[in-house]
Amino acid sequence: MDYFDVAIIGGGGTGAATAYDLALRGLSVILFERGELTSGTTGRHHGQLHSGARYALGDHRIARECMAETLILRRIAADALEFNQGLFLAVDDEGESLTDEFVEACRAADIPATEVPVARAREWEPRISGATRRAVLVPDGTIDAYRLAMRFFASAASRGAVIRNYTQASGIEVTGGAVRAVAARSLRDGTETRYECGAVVNAGGPWADRVAALAGLEVPVTPAAGTMVAVEGRVANMVISRLRRPSDGDIVVPQRRLSIVGSTQRKVEDPDGLRPLPEEIELLLASADELVTGFSAQPFRAAWAAARPLAGRSSEEGREISRDIAIVDHGKSDGVRGFFSVLGGKATTLRRMGELVSDQVAAFLGKAEPCRTAKFDLAPYADYWRLP
Amino acid sequence: MTQRLRIQLGGQAPAAGSAHFEDFEVNLPSGATLLDALEYIRTGVAPDLMYRHSCHHGSCGTCAVRVDGKEVLACLTALDSLAGGIPVIEPLRALKLEKDLAVDPGALFRSLPKNTSHLRESEVEHYIRFEDCIECGSCVSACPVTARSWDASTGKVEGFLGPAALAAVHRESLNSPERAEEMRTVAERPDGVAACEKHFDCSRVCPRMVYPGKHIEMLRREFART
Repeated sequence: MDYFDVAIIGGGGTGAATAYDLALRGLSVILFERGELTSGTTGRHHGQLHSGARYALGDHRIARECMAETLILRRIAADALEFNQGLFLAVDDEGESLTDEFVEACRAADIPATEVPVARAREWEPRISGATRRAVLVPDGTIDAYRLAMRFFASAASRGAVIRNYTQASGIEVTGGAVRAVAARSLRDGTETRYECGAVVNAGGPWADRVAALAGLEVPVTPAAGTMVAVEGRVANMVISRLRRPSDGDIVVPQRRLSIVGSTQRKVEDPDGLRPLPEEIELLLASADELVTGFSAQPFRAAWAAARPLAGRSSEEGREISRDIAIVDHGKSDGVRGFFSVLGGKATTLRRMGELVSDQVAAFLGKAEPCRTAKFDLAPYADYWRLP
Repeated sequence: MTQRLRIQLGGQAPAAGSAHFEDFEVNLPSGATLLDALEYIRTGVAPDLMYRHSCHHGSCGTCAVRVDGKEVLACLTALDSLAGGIPVIEPLRALKLEKDLAVDPGALFRSLPKNTSHLRESEVEHYIRFEDCIECGSCVSACPVTARSWDASTGKVEGFLGPAALAAVHRESLNSPERAEEMRTVAERPDGVAACEKHFDCSRVCPRMVYPGKHIEMLRREFART
């Protein structure tokens, strides 16, 4: 019988960062993902490395957290980031009158935002909208979402974590008010195996409620579909955002030889098999044209939808639900000790999500080791596949 | 629209049975991709269908498959373009089959030179960009030389490093002049540039226009010059 200190369910960025964090603390870890690693939400991210500026006017704490994580990721995963910075453009009355407040809010969150003359912004990025009235420089960037997550997986595996893709958790065994084991079924051959463990982490993202249901519990998640559109060609090298309160279609992110506009948000019941709607694609292309001249005239490449893992429940359209990270200790909330859910969060803060849930898991298991994931360069992502 | 697909299933894992084909019907709106079709099948009649995917816009390189014998990224292949027949969907060649359409990309990553950075820090803050190669394995699967010398049970290719590795060797020698000698030593191995037979199928199937064949030719010319 195999025993692991911690079983993690969910092989996206959060599961990857959690596996690495716990392995660095000297705990034995096994992770289950029903499909290929990063095949859920993580890989479909539009790729913005958030300085936090986008959240500065709304949520100070998230803005500050994004900035701190940006600085850490630039140190530990430089080659998975295009750090070209970002411009926030005020292209209408709302943006123009909001600019001073925006810069102030950024600075209050330790984000070094600086207003620059529009002429200077245009020297950097000639294709920004002719309607630009004010421009603010912020330390945004681009993430290779897949390779950043794979660097965490490679680092976790190199520290002994066992990563099982195409393996679906099929049951969480609870006896005497504590988790005892996870059953998991391999898609490769259909066999089911029981793994005893001391703790279980639910890193299911928008599928977190299904993972919790394996233990007969409920967690509050609101899956929200976000549509993105990629066109061929880099319309800019910097991330271009619209200076207004967060809304649909106000970010253009360069990635490789592509440009991506994101995103929309609509509540969905089922995070599986999401497809972009034609009206969303139309809206995104029109919004991008208001930021960057001729965006929609670039050759179309792809449109896709990702399920966002918003924590909490809402009857609203979803934009108002917090992008904050929430950790649920089911020992305290539901009387199932050793079961933890990590909800919400963003691609930029994946390492932090791993840290927060691992702090609680390590404390539960009596392991007094601190988080060290911010200290070391991550292993090359290719190492994950390179290892035999 | 309704579209039938003939998909290779099974393989490798003992209980998965030997590889065989099954037809599936998908019903998706216009604009859907082959990857959407695979998602449709997995979330419907075949929940255990194995295939690789992540970004859904041709950046990650995980979803390469063969459609009627030609390597494509499933996420960039419009379902409309397959209308009028029953396309045959197979996994990549020259990589170890896991099951169905999923391959183990390990052999590809082991063939690439080590410690090549995907993104190099530029001397200027702006205008830095990821490498074009997304390591999807299409070129390795399409190359007649690797296809001929490939052991299907292990995924091992003997006698040829392959187009992806040689393109990476050339790129690294340009990106890191201090490693040019080391890269040249790799390229000059008998299973390096000399093993390429100039079929150029690699360049034809590359979804990111890396044109590995061009990089191999540039290496060849460098050897001739010095």
